[in-house]
Amino acid sequence: MKKLAIGLYAAVTIALMIWGFYQAMYVAPTDAMQGEIFRIIFYHVPSASVAFLFFAVSLLGSIGFLSYRRSHPQWAQVADAWALAGAEVGVVFCTVVLTTGPLWGRRAWGIWWTWDARLTTTLVLWLIYVSYLLLRRFAAGPQVQTLAAVLGIFGALDVPIVYMSNRWWRTQHPAPVFGGAQGSGMDKSMLGPFMWNMLAWFCWGVFILILRYNVERKHQLNAEAEAQEALEANA
Amino acid sequence: MDQAAILDHQFVIAAYTVTWALQLGYLAWLAVKWGAEKRAAARRTNNSR
Repeated sequence: MKKLAIGLYAAVTIALMIWGFYQAMYVAPTDAMQGEIFRIIFYHVPSASVAFLFFAVSLLGSIGFLSYRRSHPQWAQVADAWALAGAEVGVVFCTVVLTTGPLWGRRAWGIWWTWDARLTTTLVLWLIYVSYLLLRRFAAGPQVQTLAAVLGIFGALDVPIVYMSNRWWRTQHPAPVFGGAQGSGMDKSMLGPFMWNMLAWFCWGVFILILRYNVERKHQLNAEAEAQEALEANA
Repeated sequence: MDQAAILDHQFVIAAYTVTWALQLGYLAWLAVKWGAEKRAAARRTNNSR
């Protein structure tokens, strides 16, 4: 039953990805101002949204770990697995944002990169979560999870700053399309393809997030069993 | 199509390709990691028998 549900979800997600690609490439009309290059938005913006969402998952997991690490160690391990999965999958999506953005910028602005507030805060966000992953990978000792949880909470503080950066400061990055100033928004003919891609990337993100969580849980259970066996062997 | 439109199209394809390379690469890495954890669990079960 579980395998069937996973297979069905994966099939729906793949169908949505193909449909989203078709909508982005062949249904959405060419932008009058930007031309073809605007189609990068169909991958760039959903990736940024999913990255923000997963950094929020990491934040909740980190808070959960710190809250339960003494009272309910098993719950704390589950929360920690979500924190790690959220951070890692978030970094993958943030990497997509930081590569598709400059590709768009090169054609639209004539430059790959500029140190404006939106781009810089996004890079800082990416660096914070990469350092989170490096800490988890290379540091050893009983405090690693606690240190990582604290770093995960501080990293998440950058998310609202990234989101608000092109509202608070004048940036080269385009003004917000949704929830921006008067006259902002997207034409109906582009909104449909955009929403399909949002849905598709969200489903894909959730799929790999759950997969990553399960890998981490398996790793934790293996490590726990190994430690138990070592204790029994020494007793 | 003029030269600028062709270049725009190539950049869009590059962005989509990079996106999929990153996502599928990560998925493949997860599959390898999942396999390693499964093998470790099986090895432990065999050793404890």
